[in-house]
Amino acid sequence: MTGTVYTETVVHLAPEAFAKDVPYQVAIVSLEDGSRITSRIVGERVAIDDRVKQVGIRDGVPFFRKLT
Amino acid sequence: MRPVAVAGVGKTPFGAFADRDLRSLAVDAGEKCLKNGHVNPGQVEAFYLGNFAGPSFSGQNHLAPYVSTALGIRDVPATRFEAACASGGAAFFHAFSAVASGIYDVVLVVGVEKMTSQPTARVTEILAGAGDCSGEIKAGSTFPSLFAMIARRHMFQYGTTREHLAAVAVKNHANGALNPEAHMRKVITMEQALNARPVAEPLGLYDCSLISDGAAAVLLIAADRARDFVEKPVQILGVAQASDFVALDQKPDITTFPAVRRAAEKAYAMAGVTPRDIQFAEVHDCFSIAEIVALEDLGFVDRGSGGPYEASGATSRTGEKPINASGGLKSKGHPVGATGVAQICDVVAQIRCEAGEMQLKRNSLGLAQNLGGSGASCVVSILGNV
Repeated sequence: MTGTVYTETVVHLAPEAFAKDVPYQVAIVSLEDGSRITSRIVGERVAIDDRVKQVGIRDGVPFFRKLT
Repeated sequence: MRPVAVAGVGKTPFGAFADRDLRSLAVDAGEKCLKNGHVNPGQVEAFYLGNFAGPSFSGQNHLAPYVSTALGIRDVPATRFEAACASGGAAFFHAFSAVASGIYDVVLVVGVEKMTSQPTARVTEILAGAGDCSGEIKAGSTFPSLFAMIARRHMFQYGTTREHLAAVAVKNHANGALNPEAHMRKVITMEQALNARPVAEPLGLYDCSLISDGAAAVLLIAADRARDFVEKPVQILGVAQASDFVALDQKPDITTFPAVRRAAEKAYAMAGVTPRDIQFAEVHDCFSIAEIVALEDLGFVDRGSGGPYEASGATSRTGEKPINASGGLKSKGHPVGATGVAQICDVVAQIRCEAGEMQLKRNSLGLAQNLGGSGASCVVSILGNV
């Protein structure tokens, strides 16, 4: 599954459940069907309009990586 | 529908109070308010409590009668309202509706939150409960990060800058320094705001409101009876509540909050005024970007121009549209359930010329905007002299 970054942020202050991941990037990704999903970004940081590809899923949360 | 007035207000200072629990804060504000409105507890016909997460912060539930009985208010309906950070506003709106419809003549509204009993990471987790826990929150979103994503998109679509965001923080801290009851009475510089440690990029520490304890109360009385109690009742000219998706990723455009626009349109129509007529406002600056978006959604400025408007100084105490003369959530503090009620208290204080060093010159028509979550709930209230 591929998509486009609609918006993103890098989180520095997180609840305990995610404290070990800090800093981590969260993005809202627009999918090809027009829907959007809040997801995590792995690897290189992304910016708005970057193309991304899903590389995994954890607890229902999709993980995306920048398409190069 | 009949006219309704605010006949009394009361607040605790906002801050971190290790020796105060939720009930003692709420009772303090409630007692001050009843005294201010010259009303005895026995005359109160219903009690509305705004509180977001008392059960999560302290374990105590069933909060409305827990507080009302401590105020000496017995037998009457006592109910808690929860609408995330708009809990106080929601309690106020529903209290207004009940008095306006003729069910009651005298109603007490109290908003309260006791937050500092928990460490910041746990507070962040509790606040995240105002988001969609089945999606965005599971992905690691926090409230700062949701508003950070709004800021990023606003910057992308409209060219809003970090300096525009910082201008909000600098202005609200300058205002809050004049407020003896503010949590953080500290003037900050543009450099401090820009160089603060990041919380969720592009938002830094000074872009975020505070974790505070506090309570606020207002007394609503049917307008035709209000002068039996006080000399200077303030009229509620318009008030409306609206709702929208809880999850940010379900909104078609995250740079605007439809719930704010709808609530504002209804409140303006009810009051028979336009955004231009509003002389000053208390808006929900939970994050710096939220104040910028609020100015646009309330119709004070065109979409996308909130940032430059803030940077121009137009929203300062001496500008054409003073915003958050109290210091806002940023400096005054943000005890979540208290915030919407405190905004009403601050607007009323301005209209009554009781705002001390914070007093504005043009003070006869004010607006309060209270936002819940990332825009899923909103209450807009317009108050004035009649």
